[in-house]
Amino acid sequence: MNAFIQTQALKKTYQLGDQRVEALRGIELTIAQSDFVVFMGHSGSGKTTLISTIGGLTRPTEGSVSIEGTDIWRLNDRELSAFRNRKIGFMFQSFSLLPSLNVLQNVVMPVIFRKNGKREKTDAIRERALSLLAGLEMKKKIDAHPSELSGGEQRRVAIARALINEPDIILADEPTGELDIRTEREVIEIFRAINSQYRKTIIVVSHSLSWLESAKTVIIMKDGLMHLDVPDPVEALMGRACRP
Amino acid sequence: MKILRLAVLDLVRRPKKNGLLVFAIVISVALLTSLTIVSNSATSSILEVVSKTGHTLTIRPVITAGIDEADKSALQNLTISEVVFGKYIPESAVPQISRIYNKAIREGWERKGGLVSNPGIPVISIEPPTWAPRLYTKAVVDGHEAIVTGIDVNKEYFVRFWWNLSSGEWPADVDVKNVNTRIDAMYVMGAGGQVTVEKPRYRVDEEGKAVYDEKRRNSAGDSDQVARDFAYAHGAGDENKDVAYLGGAYASARGLKVGDTVTVESRRFRIGGVLEETNSADDYMVFIPLIIAQHMFHREGYISLLSVRAMCPNCPVGDAMVELNRNITGITAVSQLDVAGVQFDFFNMLYRFLLAVVIATIAVGIFSIFNIVAGSLYVRVREIGLLKAVGASRFQLFRIFLYEHLIIGAFAGIGGFVAGVGMAYVLNSLLGIGSVVRIVPSVLWYALALGILSSLFAIYYPAYRLSGIKITDTFRTQWEV
Ligand SMILES: Nc1ncnc2c1ncn2[C@@H]1O[C@H](COP(=O)(O)OP(=O)(O)OP(=O)(O)O)[C@@H](O)[C@H]1O
Ligand SMILES: [Mg+2]
Repeated sequence: MNAFIQTQALKKTYQLGDQRVEALRGIELTIAQSDFVVFMGHSGSGKTTLISTIGGLTRPTEGSVSIEGTDIWRLNDRELSAFRNRKIGFMFQSFSLLPSLNVLQNVVMPVIFRKNGKREKTDAIRERALSLLAGLEMKKKIDAHPSELSGGEQRRVAIARALINEPDIILADEPTGELDIRTEREVIEIFRAINSQYRKTIIVVSHSLSWLESAKTVIIMKDGLMHLDVPDPVEALMGRACRP
Repeated sequence: MKILRLAVLDLVRRPKKNGLLVFAIVISVALLTSLTIVSNSATSSILEVVSKTGHTLTIRPVITAGIDEADKSALQNLTISEVVFGKYIPESAVPQISRIYNKAIREGWERKGGLVSNPGIPVISIEPPTWAPRLYTKAVVDGHEAIVTGIDVNKEYFVRFWWNLSSGEWPADVDVKNVNTRIDAMYVMGAGGQVTVEKPRYRVDEEGKAVYDEKRRNSAGDSDQVARDFAYAHGAGDENKDVAYLGGAYASARGLKVGDTVTVESRRFRIGGVLEETNSADDYMVFIPLIIAQHMFHREGYISLLSVRAMCPNCPVGDAMVELNRNITGITAVSQLDVAGVQFDFFNMLYRFLLAVVIATIAVGIFSIFNIVAGSLYVRVREIGLLKAVGASRFQLFRIFLYEHLIIGAFAGIGGFVAGVGMAYVLNSLLGIGSVVRIVPSVLWYALALGILSSLFAIYYPAYRLSGIKITDTFRTQWEV
């Protein structure tokens, strides 16, 4: 397994007043290219913290994250934001879209933050955005604003936006939260297609068991530590939950 | 799509909050703008007075001492600064006034040691004073009450050298090209540095009335002058001499122009000219020949005001003022320079007070601007998190805020300027400074700069904080807000 994403002794400690919260307590993680990783675990187990650290959004207290051999936390703000812009597509549970922009504008939004090089024609960007939206059956709504969309439609726009800069990695934190089961399946299906067709590396955090069948790798987070190759993830999660 | 576009789209999405911010800045900018305009205007009109009348001394009757009951109403009628009704100076006092004045000027001048000369050779000559008398009355002009002022046009023109006609012509014998040729006499520096002055202009006859000195060059110099003046004043009217000049404001208020006639009491006057406005009481007056006014209002031998224009560099007018006030009772001599000085001091005080008020207001304003911006920024924490996640660097985020606030600042600066100009007019009339509001174009640029600076200042700290915010904190707000 070649290491596409690798973390070493990754630790994150939050200082809340005089209380220290160890959100990550030494994560050693290796993710191969085109993997489909799903993180599960109880609330507060450090999932969001971990993928934020991998995505260059939260600086770890200790340890390193390297992506394609680049130690991302050694980059400066400019380099790191350029890296995020180019390499990673993000999706969040809610508030993935800017309310002031319409669907099409939201999708092309990451393009305006592109740094030097790679100056692409506006028309080409627009074309790609339209074809992404068409693939997600959102072409009719390109002029709508986020407030005029359903939750599922918003997710699709967010997916299109995550793909616009053709990143290698998609990081999604609860991309199917608050969705009905059918819409959830649709979104998962889209992720699966992205993974298999475009060979993008996908890292998802979710509480929903629906992801399990699509995932190539399932990682259970517990108290800031990760557990790989858990034989029965559901049982592992339940067992923890049942403890008084 | 560009960052600028993103900023604009974001601006228009929050009309209320941004409107409030613009409003807060507009108020601050408007306050400073109006104060600047008013103080500029007032200062320049005061300076204008100084430069116009700096060496002019006016002498008027004392209006506080010795007023009996009957005169009290006259006192109440007293309206504008030097304009005093119902109290007079006898023309017979003029020679004495003139004498004291000349002496004070000469001595003051000698004391200053300003005259260095070779013995025996008159090296410097100072133009001696021209005394311009006025008689103020309230009279009926074309059926309405107006201030009718008797003047000697020649002298008045000489003393009030800032007078200009906006239309019409001066009488033929007013030498408009060179007022200095209308000099009555000269101070002459003799050997040893002493200055001699020719005789004063007036002579008092047996009845105590002033008559013109026969030697005078300009007042026709012949002994029949007084008699001719008398005949003219008592006569049925002389088309060539019955000429009135109108103050600019009066003429425009009544829509009168050169060539029209005005009837003062029952005598008709042809309008010979309309004066440019000087921002003084003159603007509201009807000027007619002094001798007619004296006759018409039964004030022969009396005047209301004497103005004298000193004609030497650094003339010790102040000395003359002191001497006159000390030696002659019943009159008040006022140096316009001193009046302007007092006005200036008063205005400065007022200005400083207002400035303090304005700065306090702005401090409060900035505080509220800070709150508005900080409030709107914290609402935007998630958006900022999102923008960072899609790859906006700190600097790019900062640029979004920068554009938004440049736009807000520009709008607010221009709005503040417009509002400030309006407020300047209100403030000006409230303060009663009586100066004309002058708008210097550079004030617009200052207003614009101030608007933008306060807008940027308001954004700087919160934006700095937020663009450096940790992304997880912004996610946190998803469920914590
Ligand atoms: N900015 C922060 N300041 C202080 N503590 C934090 C911060 N972010 C996270 N934590 C703490 O770190 C721990 C891990 O949080 P994290 O958000 O990673 O959990 P999670 O697994 O994503 O939970 P959930 O499933 O509820 O989203 C928690 O105890 C949380 O309280
Ligand atoms: Mg989470």
